[in-house]
This record gives sequence, structure tokens and C-alpha cells, in this order.
Amino acid sequence: MRPRGVFADSFAVLLVVFALGSAPARAHHSFAMFDTANPVTLTGVVTGFEWTNPHVYIELDVPEAQGVKHWSIELGSPSILMRAGWTFNTIKKGDKVTAVVSPLRNGEPGSLLSRITLADGRMLGNGGPAGVGPGVAAPAGGAAETRPAR
Amino acid sequence: MIVAARALVIIALGAMTAHTTAHAQTGQRPDLTGAWVPLGGGRGLDPTLAPPPAGPIVLKPEYAPAFEAKRAADAEATRRGEPPPSDAVLCLPYGMPRMMAVASYPVEFLETPGQITIVTEAFSEVRRVFLDQPQLPIDEVPPGYYGHSVGRWMGDTLVIDTVGIKESVPGYNGMPHSAEMRITERLRLVAPDVLHNQITIEDPGVLAKPVVYTLAYRRLPGYKMVEFICENNREYVDEKGRVRMRLGQ
Repeated sequence: MRPRGVFADSFAVLLVVFALGSAPARAHHSFAMFDTANPVTLTGVVTGFEWTNPHVYIELDVPEAQGVKHWSIELGSPSILMRAGWTFNTIKKGDKVTAVVSPLRNGEPGSLLSRITLADGRMLGNGGPAGVGPGVAAPAGGAAETRPAR
Repeated sequence: MIVAARALVIIALGAMTAHTTAHAQTGQRPDLTGAWVPLGGGRGLDPTLAPPPAGPIVLKPEYAPAFEAKRAADAEATRRGEPPPSDAVLCLPYGMPRMMAVASYPVEFLETPGQITIVTEAFSEVRRVFLDQPQLPIDEVPPGYYGHSVGRWMGDTLVIDTVGIKESVPGYNGMPHSAEMRITERLRLVAPDVLHNQITIEDPGVLAKPVVYTLAYRRLPGYKMVEFICENNREYVDEKGRVRMRLGQ
């Protein structure tokens, strides 16, 4: 590991700022349809877990005062999630989970996962730094690596 | 302030160039076989090994206004939370050159006699680079997503020439392109496990001058590429042209 000092850190910021034009294309689609500034917390029972491309989905029944509201939660892709500690059987139908999500701006009960607390208490994000192996949760806000790079 | 910032950029770039040169290999061909991950979405995380800033897209005057207008409209729609559709929303692959860095999806290089095959994890795209062959005339290449690629080693650098990209394949950063587009890639290790791919796009039909940008990758030893079949695409484009998410049960 090379030593890094103040200069290196400023250099990083500088290069990030000036290299934005070289950003690659977005992974699958823009995430602008989700309201990432106003996350909501959903606690409910999993009715489906789809380990698929281009995205993984969790279907969740959330009890409310008057009945149950159903939510669809979008995650990254299997590739992105595997590098953040997920597997195809991390979640099972019937599991009780708590998810922090960014809801759709149009008010429909669809959302993008930020982080989730599993039935066994583990917390996972929606992707992490690439190539660093399993077990690295995304920072609060999640989905850093699955969002568009520009 | 601006002058000071520019001076700092020049100093920074000078330091980077010196460092990169120090990492240059000894002229031998490196073994690229294996998986590589775009560093920071291709921008580079380690500043000392980051690629130089991308050059601008300078279109011929007759194409520039429409390009700028579309960029502005797309940015405004995204700000409204109504992102415009892209081919990827329809599960279409990226094609060249965008496929070479899609978010943090790895890219695999496979070297076999006479050919280097490049497989991307996102959308499982495959390019075949034929080594030490002459390039075909552009008008003899059936237009496609990957075109026709030939490559040759020049010292420690793999130079790949690609022509024949279909005009409907979205261009780099949304730029338009014509049947005359030519993509030249120069791949070179700047550290034992850090690869740079300098991409030059020439298009006398559309561009006023070539576009040059550099992608960076880090080697992923032992990584097993993951399949990517776009089987469960819940995004769709509604009647107003907005991207929507289909809800499940």
C-alpha cells in the first residue's frame, strides 16, 4: 500500500472532479425515478425473492393499520450483490425483514433498496465496492455501485 | 481561483504521468487473461493510477445543437424524476465502445492463439479481436454492436482497431456517430494489476476532432464471471416516454 497524504487526497478529489466526463454508461437504467432523499422503512413478510437480471426483487407484505400494503423492492443485479455478501438464498419466502428503501416518486408502492435487516439480524446493503469480496455493505443510502456513474 | 485550480491540475497530471511512467512495464507483452473490474466506474480510485481526464466531445457544427439540446432535455427530465429511456432499459446490450465499462461489472480477457476474446459481465457481451490481421474496409463489415476488431501488440501495448458499429448503437456519452466511426484502443498495464485502456473515437462524418478518453481496470484474481440474462426486466417505457417500474405481486 502506497503512503497517502493530504496531497494524495486532494489529488483524488481533483481527479474525480475533472474525470467526470469519462464516466461510463449507467448499469441498466437511471435511478432518478426513486426518491433517494426521502427514504422510508418497511417491516414486513417476504412473499417473493427473485434472484434475476437485470435486477433482483423482494416482494414484501407490510402490515398497516387497515390491512396489508404490498411493496416491490428493487435491488442491484446478482453480480453486484454477490460481491456485497448476498447469495441467491439470502432471503426466503416467509422471512420477516426490515428494509430502508427509496420509494418511487410517483407514489406507487415500488422502491429501491438502501439496506435491509434480515430475519437473523444481519444487515446488508444494495451492493458495495467491486472486487473486494463478500461482506461489504453499502454505505447508508445504498446502491452506490448500481447507480448510474453519471 | 480558476487559474490556481488549473495550475493544480497541471501539477497533478504531471505527477500522475511520472508515476505512471515509473510503473510502465519493460516492453514485454503482459498476460491479460482473467477478469478485470472497472476502477471507480472506469474513472480510477487510486489517484496515482487514475487515467487522465477525458477529452471533450466536439461535433461538427451541424450536429452540435441537436446533441446539446438532447443532453439538456435528458438532464432536465432526470431532475424531474422522469429519466428518459435508454437501450439498456429495453435489455439491449451496450455495444462498442460503451460495453468496456458498465458500472462495476467485470470484463474478462481470454487470450488464445490468434485471438483475444473480451467478455463483459453486464449483458454477457462478447467481442472477438483477431490478432495480426489487416482491418477490413468499413464498407465490407456488416454493421453491428461490436463491429470487426483487429489487434496487434506494439511492445507492451495491445492496439485494437474496430470498425463497423451500427449507427443505431448508442454512442459514448450519447454522442451520435456515423458508419465511418473508427475506435482505437490502446491497452497497457500501468501497474502489475492495473490496466488502462485509452480509447480514441474518430468519425469524420460527425466529429470535428477525435474523442479520447481512458478507462482503468483492476485485476480480479480468481474471479468467476457471473451470468447475466436479462430475463426479468420490470422497467418499461410508458406512453409518455418515461421509464416506469412494473410492480410485482
